[in-house]
Amino acid sequence: MTPTEPLLARGPAAPAAVRPPLPVKMVIAGGFGVGKTTAVGAISEIEPLTTEASITEVAAGVDDLTHTPRKTTTTVAMDFGCITIDPTLKLYLFGTPGQERFGFMWDDIVEGAVGGLVIVDTRRLDDCYAAVDYFEHKGIPFAVAVNAFDGRVEHALEDVRWALDVSQGVPVVVFDARERGSVRDALLVVLELALARTER
Amino acid sequence: MADGMADGMAPPGPDPVGPVPAVRPYLVTAGRVADAASGRALPVETQVVSTADGLDALGRLSFEQHDIVAACRLPQSLAELAARLRLHLNVVRVLAEDLREAGQLAVYVPDAEATHDASVLRRVIDGLRAIPDSRGVPSDTD
Repeated sequence: MTPTEPLLARGPAAPAAVRPPLPVKMVIAGGFGVGKTTAVGAISEIEPLTTEASITEVAAGVDDLTHTPRKTTTTVAMDFGCITIDPTLKLYLFGTPGQERFGFMWDDIVEGAVGGLVIVDTRRLDDCYAAVDYFEHKGIPFAVAVNAFDGRVEHALEDVRWALDVSQGVPVVVFDARERGSVRDALLVVLELALARTER
Repeated sequence: MADGMADGMAPPGPDPVGPVPAVRPYLVTAGRVADAASGRALPVETQVVSTADGLDALGRLSFEQHDIVAACRLPQSLAELAARLRLHLNVVRVLAEDLREAGQLAVYVPDAEATHDASVLRRVIDGLRAIPDSRGVPSDTD
């Protein structure tokens, strides 16, 4: 399959008038209010859109009778934007709903993503553990981006790395979620990582 | 959950969602929802575009189906479609499958091999690099 023939049509081959672009998906994760929508909005060619999606929450406790984790489905707001690379290729940025609680499953949103960016507020590092764990568990290339609120970062990057316990292979960068160029560069770090994986 | 804030039980955690017009869409799908947990749900970035048959049938389609086919004259993702029509993503997934079955909507599921291909990633990287910096354009949402 060549890049110019990117999509797998499904079902009856009803000819469509316009051929859609190949959608490449990246995920922006992190705690509530950490700057996900700001980052998406800074670089998206459209105002960030919001849709409702479902995530599955695996309860931390275990049901005594069945010994299986309880699962509940939660409806959350998901913000996203996009960047048209060319008529055949479009980059989508999905902000995964932020949460602090244990055990969310984002497969429904994240499946197929080429990479993830975990946005961190150093004042609330706890908020991003779930996202870091998720990407590591899934083997999705990701970087940690420390959002420099007010232009200041209160912790050294190595301290953040230590606190989050991410491996040396995971880039930790400082960025400003409000600045298009800064968001762009953080996304590029992730994409370079994804590209490096294809080449090893 | 029509309004999670009203009962004082609004959970911390996920970005809360306000009142949703969820009842009618679920009636429209006859209670069916996309099975997200099974991994068989259409990816959120799946591209959909109306077929000629779909556009011909516009006048005979019911509200939500009509809106979907009309909106998809231009290709877009399921997520964009859901956001613009203010429908739950899983409702759009079900309706899109129905419309595909009826030949009224072409559904392009992204091929993971293609999107993870090195040449595709390079094109995305080059395209992103070409985006200029912005100065003094803060965004204050989130």
